[in-house]
Amino acid sequence: MSDQVNPPVRLKGVGDRLWITFDATLPLEELKKEINRPFERLNQLAINARIILDAGEQGADATIINELGGYLKEKFHVGKVTGPPEKPQQDETHKRAGDLSNAWHNHRSEALIIAGRVRSGQKIQAEKHLVIMGDLNPGAEAIAGGDIIILGTLLGTAIAGQPDNESAIIMAMDFRPTQIQIGGLAAAGDASTGNKGKTPEFAKIEQNKIMVMDYNTENPFKRLAWPEVR
Amino acid sequence: MEGKIVVVTSGKGGVGKTTVTASLGAALALQGKRVAVVDMDIGLRNLDVVMGLENRIIFNIVDVVQGKCKLKQATIKDRRINNLYLIPASQSDEKDTIKPENMKWLCNKLKKEFDFTLLDCPAGIEQGFKNSIEAADEAIVVCMPEISSVRDADRVIGLLYSRSITPKLIVNRIIPKMVERGDMLSHQDVVDVLSIELLGLVETDENIVVSANTGLPVVMQKDSKAGKSFIEIAMRMNGHPDLPIEDPTAPRSLWKKLSGKISRKSKVQIS
Ligand SMILES: Nc1ncnc2c1ncn2[C@@H]1O[C@H](COP(=O)(O)OP(=O)(O)OP(=O)(O)O)[C@@H](O)[C@H]1O
Ligand SMILES: [Mg+2]
Repeated sequence: MSDQVNPPVRLKGVGDRLWITFDATLPLEELKKEINRPFERLNQLAINARIILDAGEQGADATIINELGGYLKEKFHVGKVTGPPEKPQQDETHKRAGDLSNAWHNHRSEALIIAGRVRSGQKIQAEKHLVIMGDLNPGAEAIAGGDIIILGTLLGTAIAGQPDNESAIIMAMDFRPTQIQIGGLAAAGDASTGNKGKTPEFAKIEQNKIMVMDYNTENPFKRLAWPEVR
Repeated sequence: MEGKIVVVTSGKGGVGKTTVTASLGAALALQGKRVAVVDMDIGLRNLDVVMGLENRIIFNIVDVVQGKCKLKQATIKDRRINNLYLIPASQSDEKDTIKPENMKWLCNKLKKEFDFTLLDCPAGIEQGFKNSIEAADEAIVVCMPEISSVRDADRVIGLLYSRSITPKLIVNRIIPKMVERGDMLSHQDVVDVLSIELLGLVETDENIVVSANTGLPVVMQKDSKAGKSFIEIAMRMNGHPDLPIEDPTAPRSLWKKLSGKISRKSKVQIS
């Protein structure tokens, strides 16, 4: 049965909201019990949070959403509770027909952008993408849920796509890392192979291996016909 | 005016902190400043030996902090150089006998007596290091042109910045021949990674070993290259910050401090 793999209530942060997916076939009392678990872990983070209750494909009627919403407000002091937003019936061409400069209005992407030198023993962590305008020294560590982009020299350890995003990339103007990791794969740097900043390079996973390439000639995004959110 | 507390540190051991402290102390005193050098390496004291003063120690820094003697009683006057004083470490106590608040108290007293107080920090980043940076106004990071030394110096620089102390760099034990052959990092490689202000470059110099054995400071030895470098570093600390730095790997060339300002003809306006 599928609910052994998927818990009946799942919680995910989406932008500034908490998106709860739940199995509407369960009796209400059991749902309340299940929903306690993730919210207890959130603790005061749940206070005033905007909540979206999503019963998935099957959908749920308004009473269940009202009922559960009231319960969450009372017990965990959450903010506004709504059902999932209506899916916009747009296809790709329709989306692109819009003005490109307006196309990003509905998107959210989080990146941590820092400036300066990261020194030995220091560690920078980003939920999603990480941009360092500066150098990452030997002995320093950068860890990101998404991509790591270093506008400077990468000499330390860069760990991208944590825990399991294998499409993440690591890029640096001068790419001479001690070690890199993408998702679950790791590769050791080799001081003798760096090209000392002649060209920017990037690493990505190809056929289950980390490959390092010249960004100017192999830029993987050049081939994307239409700009998309990373 | 109050004097300055300058900590000499490196992270890694054996890179020349004690040598730098003794040499700069001597050079600054010879330039007319009142100088105290303090051995912060509790349990492994060294500075007294390098300065040839070990046989005069009666009280030490731990005695001062514990109130067993007055600061004056633990302050040993140098044999050759006027205005140069040593406060020795204790040889027997545990490393953490002294606490940061003790250092604040002591340094406040030292500031009133001396133009420069140089603290010879122990290796590592533990208690002795923490004590040494507690009351420091300035820091000198000593680094050898060697990967592990650079790594440790970088760690220490990060810790100093986190305490709002802006460190300056001395690259010590440069062997020009090896740099020319490509067998040793150049000072430029070191500066590239550490990216802090360079205070001076010191070659590996036999005179330093001689000096450590005889107690005659290297800055008083004629034709000692390292001695000359230390005299110039002391001048940079002492009112001549722009004195050019000689590059030992390229004789006769000077490593000028460029202002790094580029002026643009006009700014691009975005309307
Ligand atoms: N420029 C130099 N040329 C030749 N020898 C040097 C030079 N600098 C330091 N040395 C030698 O290197 C050794 C270590 O130097 P020193 O004791 O000053 O290092 P340290 O950083 O104080 O060590 P520790 O961490 O043990 O306190 C000594 O034998 C010293 O004489
Ligand atoms: Mg020493």
